[in-house]
Amino acid sequence: MANMKTRNHIWLHLGLISFTLLAIYPVLWVLALSFSGQQSVGLIDLPQDPSFLERLRAILPVPEHWSVKNYTEVWTEQQFGRWLWNSVVISLMTTLLGVFLACTAAYAFSRFRFPGRNTGMLMFLVSQMFPGTLMLIPLFIIIVKQLELGNTYLGLVIVYATTSIPFCVWMLKGYFDTIPYDIEESALIDGASRLTIFWRIILPLAKPAIAITALFSFMTAWNEFILASVFMESEANYTAPVGLRFFVGGFSSQWGYFAAGSVIVSLPVVALFLQLQKYLISGLTAGSVK
Amino acid sequence: MNKPMRIILVIGGLFLAGVFGAAQAAELVLWHAYRGAEKNAIEKVAKLYESRTAGTKVTTLAIPYDAYADKITASVPRGKGPDVFIYAQDRLGGWIESGKTVEPIGFFMDEATQQQFLPGMMDAMTYKGTVFGLPLNYKSITLIYNKALVKTPPKTSTEMVKLAKSLTHADSGRYGLAYWYTNFYFHAALMNAFGGSVFDKNGKLVLNSKETVASIKQMMKWYKQDGIMPSEPSETLVSSMFNEGKVAMVFNGPWFIGEISPSIDFGLAMLPVIDEAGKKPMRPWLTIEGAYISASSKQKEAAYDFAKFLASEEAGLILALEGRQLHTNAAIYKDKRITGDVVLNAFHDQLNSAEPMPNRAEMTMVWSPATTAMNKVVKGNATPEAAIKEASKMVQESINALRKGR
Amino acid sequence: MTISEHLKRSALPGMAVAMLFALVLGSWLFGAEMADLHLQHRQRLAVLQANALVLAVADTDAAGTRKRVGEMQKLEPRIESVIIVAGPQLLASTRPGDGAPRQLKREEKPLYDLSNLIRTARETNRGEEVVRKKTIQIDEMPSGRLVVTLPYLSGGEFAGILQMQFDGSGYPRAAGDTFPFPILLLIAALLAGAALRMQTQKKVDPAKLIALVAFLLIVLFYQQQQIGRLEQVVKQDNRAIATQYLASAEQLDRLGYLPLLRDPAGVNHWDTDDYERPRGVIAADGSIAEEAETKQLARRAGFIRPILWAIDLFAVAVLLFFLYGYAGRAYAAFREHIYAYIYVAPAMIGMLVLVFFPFSYGITLAFTDTTLFNESLPFLDRLIGWGNFKAILGDFNIYQDTAEGIIWNYQNFYWTLMVTVVWTITNVVIGVSFGFILAMVLNTEGLRGKAIYRVLLILPWAIPNYITALVWRGMFHPQFGVINQVLQMFGLEPVAWFDGVISSFLTGVATNGWLSFPFMMVVILGALQSIPKEMYEAAEVEGASRWQRLRHITLPLLKPTLIPAIVLSVVWTFNMFNIIFLVSGGEPSGANEILVTKAYKIAFEQYQYAYAAAYSTVIFMILLVYGFFQTRITKATESF
Repeated sequence: MANMKTRNHIWLHLGLISFTLLAIYPVLWVLALSFSGQQSVGLIDLPQDPSFLERLRAILPVPEHWSVKNYTEVWTEQQFGRWLWNSVVISLMTTLLGVFLACTAAYAFSRFRFPGRNTGMLMFLVSQMFPGTLMLIPLFIIIVKQLELGNTYLGLVIVYATTSIPFCVWMLKGYFDTIPYDIEESALIDGASRLTIFWRIILPLAKPAIAITALFSFMTAWNEFILASVFMESEANYTAPVGLRFFVGGFSSQWGYFAAGSVIVSLPVVALFLQLQKYLISGLTAGSVK
Repeated sequence: MNKPMRIILVIGGLFLAGVFGAAQAAELVLWHAYRGAEKNAIEKVAKLYESRTAGTKVTTLAIPYDAYADKITASVPRGKGPDVFIYAQDRLGGWIESGKTVEPIGFFMDEATQQQFLPGMMDAMTYKGTVFGLPLNYKSITLIYNKALVKTPPKTSTEMVKLAKSLTHADSGRYGLAYWYTNFYFHAALMNAFGGSVFDKNGKLVLNSKETVASIKQMMKWYKQDGIMPSEPSETLVSSMFNEGKVAMVFNGPWFIGEISPSIDFGLAMLPVIDEAGKKPMRPWLTIEGAYISASSKQKEAAYDFAKFLASEEAGLILALEGRQLHTNAAIYKDKRITGDVVLNAFHDQLNSAEPMPNRAEMTMVWSPATTAMNKVVKGNATPEAAIKEASKMVQESINALRKGR
Repeated sequence: MTISEHLKRSALPGMAVAMLFALVLGSWLFGAEMADLHLQHRQRLAVLQANALVLAVADTDAAGTRKRVGEMQKLEPRIESVIIVAGPQLLASTRPGDGAPRQLKREEKPLYDLSNLIRTARETNRGEEVVRKKTIQIDEMPSGRLVVTLPYLSGGEFAGILQMQFDGSGYPRAAGDTFPFPILLLIAALLAGAALRMQTQKKVDPAKLIALVAFLLIVLFYQQQQIGRLEQVVKQDNRAIATQYLASAEQLDRLGYLPLLRDPAGVNHWDTDDYERPRGVIAADGSIAEEAETKQLARRAGFIRPILWAIDLFAVAVLLFFLYGYAGRAYAAFREHIYAYIYVAPAMIGMLVLVFFPFSYGITLAFTDTTLFNESLPFLDRLIGWGNFKAILGDFNIYQDTAEGIIWNYQNFYWTLMVTVVWTITNVVIGVSFGFILAMVLNTEGLRGKAIYRVLLILPWAIPNYITALVWRGMFHPQFGVINQVLQMFGLEPVAWFDGVISSFLTGVATNGWLSFPFMMVVILGALQSIPKEMYEAAEVEGASRWQRLRHITLPLLKPTLIPAIVLSVVWTFNMFNIIFLVSGGEPSGANEILVTKAYKIAFEQYQYAYAAAYSTVIFMILLVYGFFQTRITKATESF
């Protein structure tokens, strides 16, 4: 029995390794581009009538010359540090606001039966359905013209949080549904208030789902570019993705800088995921309590 | 029915009238899409202007190109945004037609200011007879060649084909000439040589003409019959082939210079004369960036004064030498530092035979069908006549939908 | 009888709310129409004078023009001043102390610009052979003054502009709305409502029917009466304008400036619309052209009636809502579940403001014919109704049957819809299956290095999809792309990925599949980890096979998490703009465009904003129907 398990795992590992390599190939490519010190997208310089090995060398995501030039120039030429900081603040605020609003709404949708519940759920879904291409002008009217929130963190946070809420509500509602109601019932009988139950029982049990939704809210804010560049009116208030886009578009594009910037911008998200992994695992133990 | 916007406009006008003549306001905002050396140069010019006009502060804001047009379109008609903004002429017609975005400046502009620019520049800033901007810099394609392969650049198409044939070894992937010939922007140089054009002076679509068809046939001759150009052209292909020394000549613009690898010794020359088009020179399209006064600016006269400074010889020298821009002020091309600069000079020469790209909004509708037509012809899926006819029909349909009668 | 019971059986509240609704909206609409008629009357009179002056000075020299302008102003006391601007020059002016002719001053720039604007408008209308630009501009000033600007012609050629300023006073006011009238109707409705006693248990009872009929009668009577009044005002206005025309024309005739045509079939060039086209309602001799007037009335009614129908329909819905007791029940439910609503409210308010307002903006736009070129026209001028939807959905030119076989029309809506549906299904299936397999594998007990795999496999999701889309595009490059290199490594022919409809489709699917599996994987992993191990152990003890455990434990327990994830992912993929736009760009020839990228191109490459908005609305409706059925089905199959 034990023997069989190990053998299975070997096959699993083989499968996983090859799939993972395939999956991260484009990522490696971005890394290679960022360390290449050059600006064009083409990494491959093939000789005429290449041999098998030459072709293999060409497709390996390894730059011809290693250089950190792209990184140092991206960091020094622009106010990249400042923009990263703005992104961090905006994304964290978005996460907090989005997850908070989503948790309360999702809890109500999962636990209470009230008229309008289905309509409400459908409304959240519906909000994901209208193509975003024509939303810029009306959003500008509300945020910048009416609320006078142009050039502020808050303006972007409000928009990002509302963008991420529907997903979070749906995700959390699905997860809350898997948590048995018995626990709450007994707590209610013990005299606990709804708020205590929500805070003490539901939230800890729902950590994995909350981790995912937090990650999602964070990334919604972290990667958005067009609203950030339209709403912000001074360079000091730009976010990191806005800074990143300076390198592409128009007549010429600096792909090397763009790749280096992308790596810098992606690192916090990867780090965040590493951090949230712990919650996913602790969610495992918490989930099995029931 | 009723016209609230009009009223606001008129009130705005009256309000402005009150502001004019009053003391110059404190802060001017300039939007642009530059980075790197260009950004530093424009900021330097802004600082210089501040030091010249006591009490005026100029704030510049760089905006990523991909979001720039959207940002203008969203903010300026709603009373927000800059006093002055810099953009190429391709959007100008659209902004003027939609209204409340670009302020006409013909009234401010005197004869001397008009005359200081290189030929053709003011045309790009003029829409249906009204001046809307001050031209700042231009871009066009020209002939760029590898000095190791080409001793003297060809003057005529016959010379060019002869030279290119001697340098082409398709088997080993070497070609005499490369440019993005399926892209309509690049092809326009050839089309203009044959006398073809997209719109007539009344804005009527005249794309489907025997001149345009002849120009596509000429391109196909180079590609198929002479075999001097590689297939599947793209910006990436052209630049990597040039950098690997696999192509001797390319047609490309100033943006390409930065991408040439240091190991390549390159030279620039004017695009050749096309013998088949009655010895007419190739005439590439000019993209011209202008400084526009925002229609929602509260200090239009001050804004115009600043824009005028951007277009002046003094600012032009800074923008050309430090920002590597091809400035539109004719006077700077007499300066020794400019005449000594091979690249700036070469593009200045190309101006002798170039014309501004149309600034009509309808131009946006041409790119995609025209490029599709070019691809079809190159891949052998359609004759030049049929492809152009179909493209022209599609463009005409889009234009009709836009110009709806009332 | 308690008050609540009384209210339950009385038709009064329903009648009150529905009638108030219908009357308030109705009188708002008619009030707006009346105000508009009044405005039009003023403006037509002003344009009449201005046109007359332009005609009167068309064939004299500058001095003659100044003389005639002065004379004309004396004839009509409402004219405060007249100026003529030609280029940068003020040619004539009746403003005291203006000293024409002279150069325009700095602060008179708006006049110079206006002159250019009107010149351009005329040239555009002629050059394009389509009349789309207004050449007469009318400005209502806040002071009540009226300013009319129109082209000043000399020898038939455009020579500048003529601007006339009118005093606001002395124009006929529209008769004020007879206010007590709607109030009387409301009282009648309330009395009827109070008198009716309903039997709550019956679906159809005479009291409900009577209430409905009474309501409709009152509302329709009111609306019909108001339309009648509008028509009367239109007719009165036409006659008043005709009288004014005749008086002025006779004066000009006497002065010898303009001969008066006494021909009932002659065209009246004084009474024009904003595009300088004669309205045709008043003939050259001042008589009314009945036919044209009937058309004018029909146009106005054609605009009002659909709005009235919408109001009526809505009001009846409100009435029935009350009559059948839904209102009472809704209120009771609200009281009972107040805490649930409080939980949902913050998120919902955010949604309403930031999502549903932009929606309604887009949907409203879809009912206009807004393009880049007419954006600045007033909203009502652009309103066209269902035209865009008819054009999109009614175009069945999907393919052409030619000698060489079937040629698909890639620009057609239904082709794009088909591509979008195939695209969505393929992607969601790929995303879910890869995500599920990987999650199951990573959930294997005792597997080493899980954390490392998890982090690496999440990377495609973590890196901005903008750059990865471009990297994938590079990987599919026919000459330099990695994928073709690999094909060639194994002696295969390289593929021109973006040239074929199917191969180009595959590039998008590969990229999007790659981007979307990590999300599914993480979602499923989260859900798998919440399944208690004890359940599997118990099943194993009872001898359930691997397959049975998967079928009866894992899948049912995944469902609550998986269904929302799939629904969302369908919606997202359906609207996945970036991948299509950046990877294949819809190549070849737009065959692989999906609905959103198509809408984008219509809006930003063809500048047909309204058509694009209608496209977006159709996309929205399709997804709405999908979402509705999906949630229905899910509810029906919900097993716990």
